[in-house]
Amino acid sequence: MSDSSPLLEVTDLCTTFTTPTGPVAAVSGVSFTLNHDETLGIVGESGSGKTVLSRTVMGLQPRRNVVVTGSSRLNGVELVGASEAEKRRVWGLEVAMIFQDPMTSLNPVMRIGKQIDEILRVRRGLSRSAARDRAIELLELVGIPSPTQRYREYPGALSGGMRQRVVIAAALAGSPQLLMADEPTTGLDVTIQAQILNLLDDLRARLRMSVVLVTHDLGVVATRTSRLVVMYAGRVVEVGSTRDLFARHRMPYTRALLEGSPRLSNPAHTRLVTIPGRPPNLAQLPAGCSFAPRCAYATAQCHVERPELQPADGLGHYFACWNPLPTPTGVS
Amino acid sequence: MTRYLVRRLVTFVLVVFVISVGAFYLIHLLPGDPAAVILGTGDSPANRTKLYAQLGLNKPIYEQYVVWIKNVLHGNLGTSFISETSVWGTIRAAIPIDLEIMFISQILAFAAAVPLAMRSARRPDGWLDRVLSAGSFTLLSIPSFIAIVLLVLFVAIDLGVPHTGVSSYVSLTSDWVVNLESLALPSIVLAVGSFVVYFRVLRSDLIATLQEEFITMARSKGLSQRRILWRHALRPSSVSVLGAAGVNIGGLLAGGFIVQYLLDIPGLGYTLIQAIGLSDYLVVQGIVLVVSVGVVLINFFFDMVINLVDPRIRRE
Repeated sequence: MSDSSPLLEVTDLCTTFTTPTGPVAAVSGVSFTLNHDETLGIVGESGSGKTVLSRTVMGLQPRRNVVVTGSSRLNGVELVGASEAEKRRVWGLEVAMIFQDPMTSLNPVMRIGKQIDEILRVRRGLSRSAARDRAIELLELVGIPSPTQRYREYPGALSGGMRQRVVIAAALAGSPQLLMADEPTTGLDVTIQAQILNLLDDLRARLRMSVVLVTHDLGVVATRTSRLVVMYAGRVVEVGSTRDLFARHRMPYTRALLEGSPRLSNPAHTRLVTIPGRPPNLAQLPAGCSFAPRCAYATAQCHVERPELQPADGLGHYFACWNPLPTPTGVS
Repeated sequence: MTRYLVRRLVTFVLVVFVISVGAFYLIHLLPGDPAAVILGTGDSPANRTKLYAQLGLNKPIYEQYVVWIKNVLHGNLGTSFISETSVWGTIRAAIPIDLEIMFISQILAFAAAVPLAMRSARRPDGWLDRVLSAGSFTLLSIPSFIAIVLLVLFVAIDLGVPHTGVSSYVSLTSDWVVNLESLALPSIVLAVGSFVVYFRVLRSDLIATLQEEFITMARSKGLSQRRILWRHALRPSSVSVLGAAGVNIGGLLAGGFIVQYLLDIPGLGYTLIQAIGLSDYLVVQGIVLVVSVGVVLINFFFDMVINLVDPRIRRE
């Protein structure tokens, strides 16, 4: 596979859950591409469809009561509509996932080492001792002290930060080209968050992986991603290079997200701006722009007609808004 | 683990002590002179003198207990005044039969319950799950004494499997084929009841476990469904079913009594019912003691197994 063709190509992806009260569109018409060696951030509030999107992209959504349409191609292999057996060939070895809460994503009754070297033995056919050696190497790589002892312990013996390192080691075991990180630091203490993010960044560069970093925290993605996808109510509302989105965002929702996250450049005790209202109920979306009810710039049109993505000035920068914010001048 | 073991052992000793007091007191609970109660139809002045000496019946009751428990700890449960044989000897002859029936029935029950619970849990409310759930519920509602009659009537007679025991029963060591044949029917009947309990408990725990995030993580590693079920889901789902097995096997001893009685299999249950009929109270007392301690032992054993299976319990 040449480096010029994208690693991941997502086109018009929709995930709809069938519920007793009717269909719920958790992800609607999402498209983006991810190149080799690139980190893409997916940002949005809780309930914006980020987690469902990241799972649908790799075909990991629950198998029951869900309809997926569109396309998600990894190295040219279509994952939407693929059988479990086809997806299993890709999972772990080409794409791996780091889950949000390391307290629940590790099996509490299985030794740490086994959870890491299992994939090496089952999928790569390594011998017991070779797999063990590799697992200890991986534990060392993710910064776990005395890995040989840790190998034999159960997850309960480790702190949250250490467990997330174990999850990362398990994800790396299959040497995937793509790492899906679903809010990898949300469940951790603030002091641990930076450590884990820096570790991920470092590993990505060393192992030449691509990363999809899903988060609600723009501070997390600011320096660690090259491009961003902003999601609201299951749709992409703005997409572009991280630089463009921070400096020249056009969508009021993106601005609201930015103003809602603390920045070191602001003076001390600056009040954070909160977004009024709450994310909409996905089962009963308004007719027009989903953000309109909470938007300070909304006009009558916003409430009846949904804006489509349209190009902005920057390369690959698109936004969906009838009343976009003006492009600031003098910012580069 | 060691601390837990010590704590459990202390509880175990206490429970056994309480049981022994209860079993001892059983004789005194019955109205009338305990000597008359024990001797039953074998009441004669000579026997009475022997019994008073054996049990120390003219001493205060706590001293009687001390005398009795010392004898019990030396394996002496007394001599029956009705059959003129050692009570412990009678019990020892019956125990292997109960152990064997219990062992076979539990193996059968688990061998059926585990794979079927997995099948069901994979697609809850799927057709297989519905059939198995409805079927197991039907089985649950059939009492063992009805099941045994039906099995004898429609299966055992046609296949030529022995369905009455005392005459045909031989020990496992002398002829294992005949032995297994004669114990097949009671083992199957008891296995059915256990299967239903294990299937239902394990099924619901598996369904809950399969919703866990670590199962999604196991899927994301590209592991097969089979491996996820056996290696990732079964162990964290097995605490309740092992607890249920501990309790159930205790109940099985009582359920086994009816089955043994109906099929004439000379296990503890059969012996107990006969002893009650003969008012052979020393044998009754001995069996009550042995069975109670056995139930406590079985529960102790399953507690230990649960402890090994789930490291989360060990830390608490």
